[in-house]
Amino acid sequence: MLMPRKPPKGFRKPHNPKRSGKSKGGTKVTFGEYGIQALSPAYVTNRQIESARIAMTRHIKRGGKVWINIFPDQAITKKPAETRMGSGKGTPEWWIANVKPGRVMFELSFPNEQIAREALRRAMHKLPMKCRIVTREVGEV
Amino acid sequence: MSEVRISAEPRTEFGKGGARRTRRAGKIPAVLYGHGEKPKHVALPALEFAAALRRGGMNQLFTIEVTDGTKELALPKALQRDPIKDTIDHVDLLLVRKGELVQVELRINLVGEHEKGGLLVHEHGTLTVQADATALPEAIDVSIEGLAIGANVTAADVTFPEGTELVSDPSTVIATVTQAPSAEQMEGEESSSEAAVDEEPAAETAAE
Repeated sequence: MLMPRKPPKGFRKPHNPKRSGKSKGGTKVTFGEYGIQALSPAYVTNRQIESARIAMTRHIKRGGKVWINIFPDQAITKKPAETRMGSGKGTPEWWIANVKPGRVMFELSFPNEQIAREALRRAMHKLPMKCRIVTREVGEV
Repeated sequence: MSEVRISAEPRTEFGKGGARRTRRAGKIPAVLYGHGEKPKHVALPALEFAAALRRGGMNQLFTIEVTDGTKELALPKALQRDPIKDTIDHVDLLLVRKGELVQVELRINLVGEHEKGGLLVHEHGTLTVQADATALPEAIDVSIEGLAIGANVTAADVTFPEGTELVSDPSTVIATVTQAPSAEQMEGEESSSEAAVDEEPAAETAAE
């Protein structure tokens, strides 16, 4: 599962990242033929990324390639249940990627378009936001 | 490629407020520059401009007829798009003259079928070429018919139409055919990641 190899630079328990705005880059399919583009903001955990990847690769079985364009490098904390407020920030619980609308999160290269689309559809069900399938337009403007 | 005549209005209000009002009026904020002239800010009709780009691509030549009476030949230089709505937010237009040589990105169309059992990887979708501004090719077809596994097509293999010269490095790889991963290879990738899942809580506690 994707997670930083060593603790990230800066703070161990950072503030929750902002969810406003649109993606500034990574909005086009650049490696594969098809991709999953986010249409709403969300925190995508490393478990969700892994789950989506497995859903895709199990459907295409062989003969394709999957690219993951997001990385869960942000720690999210949580205080234990039934704890009084105060006494400091909770412990890091999840690793998430802060995804904003427009971001192409996964890319897939596979010769059969129908199978590729079905694989991406299955992966989209594992993700916490509205998504759509986008295709690569060679030399797109 | 034939040029497209498009009418434009000079823009008087700037900044995000002015730009948004222009977009709401069904126009695209644009800027015309080049040849050492002072930049000219104009508004283009959104639907007409988008349709012309869809047909002719990024190398579509435009004749911009500004309502103040000036007429300019221009090529789209840069485009800002909304990633969700896919509408054009702003256009940079570069002034060109007839017979002037310009450097543009030429779209590559891969045609044909490569060897079975291989996976086609697009390395580059465009090549930089130099050509007459009024005779720019729309795209170039590159054949990958029967391309063997492990082989690739480079910019040097492409034959360009007369008057078009390659500017990119000739060794630039356009597409390559790799051995498609087998079911076992993909299964191996999965089992290794599942093993990592078991290790994760320990790693997280160590991080804490």
